[in-house]
Amino acid sequence: MTNDLSKRADMSFAKRYNLFFWFRHAALLTWALMIMFPIFWMISTSFKDSGDWVAWPPNWFPSFIGGGYEPTLHNYRQIFSIVGHGEGLSREYAEQAFTIWGAVRDSMVVSSISALIALLLGTFLAYSISRFNVGGKYFRYMILTIRMVPPIIIAIPVVMYYAILIPFATQTVLNYRFSLIDSYTGLCLLYIATTLPFVIWMMLNFIEEIPKTIEHAAQIMGAGRIYTLRRVVMPLVAPGMVVTFLFIFILNWSEFLLALTLTQPRVITLPILLNKFQSAMEGRLYGPQAAIGTVITIPVVILGVLIQKHLITGFSFGTIRK
Amino acid sequence: MAQATIKERKSLSAWLSQEKVFRLIPFIMVEATFLLLLAVPFMLTIYISLLKWRANRPFEQAYFHGLLNYVRVLTTEDFWWALGRTFYFAGTAVFLELIFGFLLAMLAYKQFRGRRLYITIFLVPMMVVPVVGGYNFSMIYIDSGPLNQILSPITEAMGVNPRIRWLSHPIAAQWAIILADVWQWTSLTFLIFLSGFAALPQQLTNAARVLGASRWQIFWKVHFPLLKPAIMIAVIIRSMEALKLFDLSVLLTFGGPGTSTETIAFFLWRQVWQFNKYSFGAAASILLLFMFGTLIFYGIYLLVRERSIVEEERMG
Repeated sequence: MTNDLSKRADMSFAKRYNLFFWFRHAALLTWALMIMFPIFWMISTSFKDSGDWVAWPPNWFPSFIGGGYEPTLHNYRQIFSIVGHGEGLSREYAEQAFTIWGAVRDSMVVSSISALIALLLGTFLAYSISRFNVGGKYFRYMILTIRMVPPIIIAIPVVMYYAILIPFATQTVLNYRFSLIDSYTGLCLLYIATTLPFVIWMMLNFIEEIPKTIEHAAQIMGAGRIYTLRRVVMPLVAPGMVVTFLFIFILNWSEFLLALTLTQPRVITLPILLNKFQSAMEGRLYGPQAAIGTVITIPVVILGVLIQKHLITGFSFGTIRK
Repeated sequence: MAQATIKERKSLSAWLSQEKVFRLIPFIMVEATFLLLLAVPFMLTIYISLLKWRANRPFEQAYFHGLLNYVRVLTTEDFWWALGRTFYFAGTAVFLELIFGFLLAMLAYKQFRGRRLYITIFLVPMMVVPVVGGYNFSMIYIDSGPLNQILSPITEAMGVNPRIRWLSHPIAAQWAIILADVWQWTSLTFLIFLSGFAALPQQLTNAARVLGASRWQIFWKVHFPLLKPAIMIAVIIRSMEALKLFDLSVLLTFGGPGTSTETIAFFLWRQVWQFNKYSFGAAASILLLFMFGTLIFYGIYLLVRERSIVEEERMG
């Protein structure tokens, strides 16, 4: 009797467990599909020819797995300018510079140089904060204000600064009008300033994991401060520096507002290039846009997956550690 | 000669490695960057906000205008509407993100097969360039997009043309932006909650179970209070980011239809870069700096408090 009862209890428990198992997977799978759908749609649009971009009803899959559109590489050939001008499109479209090479170069240069400089400055400051308590107890929190201010509030003063004060000052001092608007330097400087809080917080997390005793040991053995920093601390935080660099690179690579307001037409980063096609409401080129979107997204998603574990530290300003 | 330079370098490095010098080098460098790049421009902006200056005359001929620009900003109805809309978008989006992120984290925090794969997939939107996210959603919402196709059985049954232009309707356009934001940033709240759940001490749960607490009680009386810091951190970080909303208004709707999706960032961008009202923009950005400044300081105060709680839990 008692045996029977316990068996039944076991059964129902197993059943309940099973139900929960299926519920969990159904819910998570639904969310995963919803998450991936916009990306799937972009990638499939990037392989569609112009007739299929806004066809009704829209086609989901290429013809080789039973869907309704013929996949084509035309959009990619166009944005990488492998195709000759005018092929397959009307003249006015062909005359808009389609190639993304210039934007790829600009994005790469600006993102990586500013990430590198911010990384070096930020790492040293983080070390200094962690070991010598520079700037007081709350300095590390105060520095977050720069990141939390909406960028438009920074963009308006900085544009006026770049467009008025710096040309004026260089004119009077050096007798040469020097403008930072629409230049690599101008954009890089601002990216450095706006990403420094992230660098400092991420690096603080990595540096504070190193026991101070190692440094003391090095110093007792006669190593100078700079030597300790270079030969003892740097190798230990190097992985953290790589992660931080990649994180900052992703941030700079995706940045939109500052690039929109401070650059163009000479320096054009990839998000700006994508937006340029967007604003032409009639005759929007959905296919090449989708191809550009895919090309921008893939590298950062790969980098992001590589540093997956640390993303949380970065985005939460180090308040949550892995 | 060579010896002299070596000696000089040695003494230089010796001078640099004194603690009182060494600790200040990076600090001074960073502070100088901020001072030159942010503080000076703000001084300039305060000056410009006192001028009457538009694009129709060069800067040198702008004349002094007193505080009239500030008065004009504060009496512009669209400014207040844009500000209110920004808070409305941010509030709604962050609320939805918290709910979805929390539920997903609850489902995914225990070890089971396929967990890593799910987490990796859930993280992808966070890394997608926001502009690309905006573009993706503009493709989904267009009249011949997949959303209308999925809804077409319902709309046809209701006798409506299935090719609805979502982005041409003010309220639908606002929700389009909110949903795009939720799509992108639920992954962050999910991650924060996931690490919050992972840090829950197992002993407490076991103790409560031994004492005869039900699952519901364990969740509300044991887990939830422990998760509060994580929730607060998620709220602060996400709200601060959501108040910056700009990319999606540009990409999805360009502020339209009318001004129904203009956020404060978009409103200011349009005033300065499209209508060339420089001094108006300067005054508005100074005012906003003070408004957001108080909010940010309060946010940081909360962040410090919650972080110290998290740290204590880690230690104890």
